[in-house]
Amino acid sequence: MKLEIQNVSKKYQRNTYGLKDFSITIEKGILGLLGPNGAGKSTLLKMIATVNKPTQGIISLNKNNIAKDANYMRKQLGFLPQDFGVYPNLNAYEFLEYMAAMKGIGGSNLKSRIHQLLNGLNLIDAAKKPIGTYSGGMKQRIGIAQVLLNDPKIIIFDEPTVGLDPEERVRFRSLISDLANDCIVILSSHIVSDIDTIADQVAVMKNGTLITNGNQDYIINTVSSKVYETTIKKDDLVSFKLKNLVVSTSRKNENLQVRYITESPTSNSVQQIATLEDAYLYLTKNN
Amino acid sequence: MKSFVTIIKLDYLQRTRSYSFLITLCASLAIAYTFVPEPNANYSTIRIADYVGVYNSAWFGYVTAIMTSIFLSLIGFYLINGNIKTDIDNRVGHIIAATRIRNLSYLLSKVLSNFMLLLSIVGVVFVMSIILFFLYNAGYSFEIIHFIKPYIFITLPAIFFIAVIAVVFEVLFEKYTTLQNILFFFLFSFLVLFSSKNENQFLFDVFGNKVVIQQMEEQVKNITKSDETKSLSIGYVLGNVKKANTFEFNGVDFSTSFIISRFIWIGLGLGFIILLTPFFNRFNKENNNTKKATIAQKPQGVKEIMLSVIPKVTENYRILPLLKTEFFLLFRKGKKWLWIINIIGMLLLAVLPLKIAYQMALPIIWFLQVHRISDITTRELTHNIHYFTCTSYRPMTRLLISKLCSAILLVLLLASPLLIRLSVSLDFLSILTIVLGATFIVMMATWFGLLTRGKKLFEVLFFMLTYTNINGIAFVDYFGGYEHQKFYVVQLALLVIVVTCSCFILKKYQLEK
Repeated sequence: MKLEIQNVSKKYQRNTYGLKDFSITIEKGILGLLGPNGAGKSTLLKMIATVNKPTQGIISLNKNNIAKDANYMRKQLGFLPQDFGVYPNLNAYEFLEYMAAMKGIGGSNLKSRIHQLLNGLNLIDAAKKPIGTYSGGMKQRIGIAQVLLNDPKIIIFDEPTVGLDPEERVRFRSLISDLANDCIVILSSHIVSDIDTIADQVAVMKNGTLITNGNQDYIINTVSSKVYETTIKKDDLVSFKLKNLVVSTSRKNENLQVRYITESPTSNSVQQIATLEDAYLYLTKNN
Repeated sequence: MKSFVTIIKLDYLQRTRSYSFLITLCASLAIAYTFVPEPNANYSTIRIADYVGVYNSAWFGYVTAIMTSIFLSLIGFYLINGNIKTDIDNRVGHIIAATRIRNLSYLLSKVLSNFMLLLSIVGVVFVMSIILFFLYNAGYSFEIIHFIKPYIFITLPAIFFIAVIAVVFEVLFEKYTTLQNILFFFLFSFLVLFSSKNENQFLFDVFGNKVVIQQMEEQVKNITKSDETKSLSIGYVLGNVKKANTFEFNGVDFSTSFIISRFIWIGLGLGFIILLTPFFNRFNKENNNTKKATIAQKPQGVKEIMLSVIPKVTENYRILPLLKTEFFLLFRKGKKWLWIINIIGMLLLAVLPLKIAYQMALPIIWFLQVHRISDITTRELTHNIHYFTCTSYRPMTRLLISKLCSAILLVLLLASPLLIRLSVSLDFLSILTIVLGATFIVMMATWFGLLTRGKKLFEVLFFMLTYTNINGIAFVDYFGGYEHQKFYVVQLALLVIVVTCSCFILKKYQLEK
């Protein structure tokens, strides 16, 4: 299984690009896409999911150009869009049966598979009630269930943890790790903690371009000796922010403890172990 | 005051900055072109017995103003209703509810935004009427006052009142959109059929045209030296126009009481809104609706999905499961009580005299399904399912076809009592035309849905089509209810094929884009 994205661009209007000259190759495992809002993550994912076609470049799965043969990708795809809806008058079973029919799957095991997915996602009690009555988190889990219906080989999750509570997030991460054993999972988020524990490969994007791409250690190395912590007075925060890239602040009595990235730390600073979040902020602010 | 004007302006801009509004304006332009027939045309719009007016400024101004008043009141309601619902659908309702805007200001802003929208269409028709005057110039002088006066005193109060009615209905019957549509249809019919006998009763004419029509009738009576009431026709009447005589109509001097009555209609509309204010729930209805309340989930133990042990599924590209769900989606759409009306309609199709069942009951029962079929292609956008549908396996050949087939099946199911009666009487040609009619309506809904990415335009068109069919205008018969020439079925079949093909081409183009 090999997904190749070669020099892909998506042009919306004259000189307005959603994605520009993007290249990456993904084989088995989890790719975490990190980037601020408007970085082009969803644009890229929609093109991989065959919703949109690239203006330039080629996306190919196992050497098949998916712009020319979208159904080759669709047969093997599980896609959870960032902002999706449901038919409110259908119950969970009916909706998933409909999704299965759209994906072109069926057989005698379908009902049993749907049942087990609903059970595993804690939706079984409400499964016969109209989805219109579900909470946001329940709808999100219905979305996850539909991804898993067809035993997909390419799984795309666009901001999948929106609406999930902390316990569900943890379970979702474990599910993704399980999935990645024999397929490609692409996961986009602007929440670093969704990605840092599970992604094999991380791509950081900004303004439609790929800033960097590699395993987590490689990404973290970009800031490995630049992360510090210090304590400053509250009133000094604004001027401190002007000189340094502040990652986080926390109250400490009357002062503030500040974690920041710099190449020339202040005198009372202590060097810290860099994290993916530090690297992400550094890369997206400095590029 | 400034913020109130800003709200109206932005609401208006939000509604008009759409492709469907542009198409609506183009359609209005085309319809306005037909309001005053071209001198050699074989139809008439306003005609008193055998008389039509000479093509002077007054005839152009008054005729187009009257036609706009009536037609825009009829279709305008269907164009503008659902304005408050849009705020719910766009999820801004609760944000608005949390702002300082008062209910009265909000409802008034909706009325004025509705009015502005209709006013835009009136503006297009007004310009078109002047263009037509110069286009068909019969040597009469151009007098702008004969254009402005009728539009101000006849058309504008009428459309303002309709703008009010749309808001009133939406507040009172909120989620019952079908009920709103049906009630308006009856209200409109009542208002149009209300017959004024004397000048005092003209004050009760919301469309404001009866005073003008009476003046025209009086002039014709003077010419014919007859006291008999002259047969009047307003609307599109085909044929025999070349035989019409002409008379010179020079406009109407509106009485002060009439002018005051027009302002009273506006005042009455504002009064309705003030009275309605306490009934506006400020988007709080959802919370009171226990049936739709969000399910509270019981706390459950942590479960895991064991992907390796979940049963595997197999490939299955049959269309039947899709068809079944699409049919369910159509069947379950709307309120359950609407199915009681449908069943009554089906019973009527079974027991009414065949001609009435075919010509009257069938188009009405089909029109009652407008909410089910109007969003056949936009449903996935409305419910935000489109990412799933466009990544489905063969969306054109499987999904679109199942959508279309399920809608045609539903429409034919409703016509089944009539189809059975026709098959008993071995009238297979009529059965064929009904099948073609069902296909035509579904394809039109699809075509307009794909083109405009909305459902309004189809709803208005379907309403017009139904209204004209039950009024016996055979020209627009799409289901074979009236007698026709030899090649009618062939023409209808060709039309259906053309619309179907263009639907598929359009969908393919959109998927590729």
